[in-house]
Amino acid sequence: MSGAVMDEIVMDGLRIDGCTVAFGGLRAIDNVTLDIPGGTITALIGPNGSGKSTFVNMVSGQIPPVAGRVVLKGQPITGLRPDRIVHRGLARTYQVPKVPKELTIQEVISVPLLYARSDRPLPSGVRSAADLAHYCGLRPAVTTRCGQLSVSDLRRLEIARALACRPEVLLLDESMAGLSLEDTDQVIGLVREIHVLGVTVVVIEHVMRIIARLCQHAIVLNQGRLLAEGAPQRVLTDPDVREAYLGKGFTL
Amino acid sequence: MNAARLLNRLGFYAAVAAPFVVVAVAEHPFFVQIAIGVAVSAILALAWDILSRTGQVSLGHAAFFGMGGYGSALLTPVFGPVLGWAAGILLCGAVAVLLGAVTLRLRRLYFTIATLSFSLSIQVFILVTPDLTGGSTGIMPPVIAGGSPPHQLLFITACLVVAATVSDIFLGPRFRPAFFMIRNNPHLAAASGVPVTRLKILAFAVSGMVAGLAGACYAGLYGYVIPEDVFTTNWNVLPLAVTILGGMDTTLGPIIGAVALRALEEVARHFVGGVGYQVVYGAVIILFIVGMPVGLVGFARGLVRRRRKPAAEADTVKARLAS
Amino acid sequence: MTIASVSQAVLLSLTIAGLYAAVAAGLTLTVGVTRIINFAHGEFVMLGAFLTYWLHTRYALSPWLGMAASGVALGLFSMLVYRVFLARVLKQDEHNQLLATLGLSILLLNIAVILWSPDPRVMQAPALLPSLRLGDVSIPGNNFAVALVGLTLFLVMLWIKTHTRYGTQMRFASDDPELALHAGINVDRVFELSFVIGGAAAGVSGGLVALVLYVQPTVGVDLVIRAFAIIALGGLGNIPGALVGAAILALAEGLTSTFVPQGGSWGFGVAFLLLLLVLIVRPSGLFGKQVQT
Repeated sequence: MSGAVMDEIVMDGLRIDGCTVAFGGLRAIDNVTLDIPGGTITALIGPNGSGKSTFVNMVSGQIPPVAGRVVLKGQPITGLRPDRIVHRGLARTYQVPKVPKELTIQEVISVPLLYARSDRPLPSGVRSAADLAHYCGLRPAVTTRCGQLSVSDLRRLEIARALACRPEVLLLDESMAGLSLEDTDQVIGLVREIHVLGVTVVVIEHVMRIIARLCQHAIVLNQGRLLAEGAPQRVLTDPDVREAYLGKGFTL
Repeated sequence: MNAARLLNRLGFYAAVAAPFVVVAVAEHPFFVQIAIGVAVSAILALAWDILSRTGQVSLGHAAFFGMGGYGSALLTPVFGPVLGWAAGILLCGAVAVLLGAVTLRLRRLYFTIATLSFSLSIQVFILVTPDLTGGSTGIMPPVIAGGSPPHQLLFITACLVVAATVSDIFLGPRFRPAFFMIRNNPHLAAASGVPVTRLKILAFAVSGMVAGLAGACYAGLYGYVIPEDVFTTNWNVLPLAVTILGGMDTTLGPIIGAVALRALEEVARHFVGGVGYQVVYGAVIILFIVGMPVGLVGFARGLVRRRRKPAAEADTVKARLAS
Repeated sequence: MTIASVSQAVLLSLTIAGLYAAVAAGLTLTVGVTRIINFAHGEFVMLGAFLTYWLHTRYALSPWLGMAASGVALGLFSMLVYRVFLARVLKQDEHNQLLATLGLSILLLNIAVILWSPDPRVMQAPALLPSLRLGDVSIPGNNFAVALVGLTLFLVMLWIKTHTRYGTQMRFASDDPELALHAGINVDRVFELSFVIGGAAAGVSGGLVALVLYVQPTVGVDLVIRAFAIIALGGLGNIPGALVGAAILALAEGLTSTFVPQGGSWGFGVAFLLLLLVLIVRPSGLFGKQVQT
């Protein structure tokens, strides 16, 4: 079977094989097949409503696909519960993280440290929730309650929480949206560091500048379908991709 | 748990038990009865709070309260007092697991309605099975501690300490953050590797068993149980009012709340008599949710924290300078 | 069990379904738009029942007028509750919103107990409509009136939601409050309006309660449990679904109480089982759309 051969090729990455997610009649993800090569930073882009967030929800098991397979490091994870998928080594962040405001930074990060059941090592020198918070550039004391954090700190906390799952594949859902230039640069630096640790990173982004600087591979979704795939420079100059974005009348 | 924390908790339990023990030793009949009532309410409220920490608002804890009473009463003649109580409480846990499993996917409001209608259905079940449960005439369980109120109070105080310990376990580092995350955002909890379903059912089982313990204590006080006594809406609503008044998500809150609510209830009874005194339950819930959602204990802690804050800030500055 | 007794039970149940539908339609309008889980909706119905009852027994006011007065009074009362209480609670998380309306429900119920005692009362009113005879089966006039008014009330709710400017705004505001704000819709006002309309519907439903059920403080809790079961059957915010849900529940209850020994006391059990069955099979209701969560 050619599928088995393909699985061999992307043993260390993430493979989406003919996946569809439907809400009623609407196909938010429509028969998408693609590979996210292991060890890369891959950009997932597309206009508003193209299915990017649904894609993340599908891969992380929050909304399982009605058809198709999701394969992580050669192992199918389709239909597994989200917590099981975390145990298999895939973590994701939320674009607008809604964390319990009464919990402290330390407590939030401690949850995946206790429950993610991964034997992958943490970054060197990182041994506790506090170290991880520091590693992700969280400046407030770890005993600060989440209700008092700024948006950019909540984003960093969300990355720290996902890292505490000790993933092999990490999906970052618009972790840089709405951040200041300085904050964005810091998060880009952090993503690079995470990548160097050997984590396959998928970055869902709007901002082209970031993608060109950060990613080796890009995937474009439009209306739930795969529009283009390949090196970022080539994908971003693709006429179809330009039309998908600019055709919407510069609404981005 | 390290030694300091253990010592801290032991001190806490001693402090909780001490006033009850003093009342029992003083043998003042009125206050012994009051203290017994407060302890039973506190155990039931702790049970409710454990479940509430996972976002599951129950209006049906009378079901477990009543089942604990009936279960211990019916099973004690079969298994003896210790095993009979254990079996009655395990029965509550088993029913809680079943109810938890079917109500698991319900959104908050439907969950609450389901628990309320469940408790009303259980009451009907008792009424229509007179052969098993004595129907509306009730049953006569063995009295605890030979019917001596001060001894009963000592026994129930011990049960309260057990309930407080269980509550503390679920406020420990393993459960508290995970429970709050499940309540606030179950998707985030699952995305952190938390087995959301299993923890919600676990909380339900533990909560059902602690509520069953409260019911067993209550049933053993007077030597008779009738459905109108243990399945009334009172026991559905009381744990909410007690916990919200004292402070949700704490162990001390339900205990303080039970004392404070009892005091308010006595005042209300003075003015409106035996019916309608539950008006204080409604008033307390509204006033505290709108005005002071953290409850008495949370408010007091906030005061203490505010006073300590300058000191804590100095500490962080020192720590930063050191690193 | 004869054909006549079965059809009698079925028809009587369907008239009660009219009452259930009216209560549930008001509730689902409020809950569907504001997402506030208004547990106290049942107490609004109970207050409407007492108001109609008192207006009739004290001032000999016709129950038709009593119903209308209850609708207006409870609409105003809802506005008061929204402004002094719910507007504050809306800012809190869902957990506390639920607890707050539970508190309101308990408070109103017990105020009624204190003021009017927990005793059930029967409103001795002449039948509002002539009774309806169909062969061997007869429907008492008041049941007929309840079915008629309940259905009308239900249709009014549906019409408001689907055919008025406010209805469009309500749907918009509930789907995406933030977007609605940007579109220039006064979301707070729309929420308040839907709450007031729901409250007025509860008041009129209370008048129906006085016609066919005992007037007592706990009647609200009894009805709100059923209303929530109906909403669960029909799907949150789905008004036509509420009508089907009401018919299913009323039939199930009516047939249980007629043909099962001691079935009269199983009302809650029936509601509970229906609720569980539907929600296990289809968590967003029989007719609710499967939403992305």
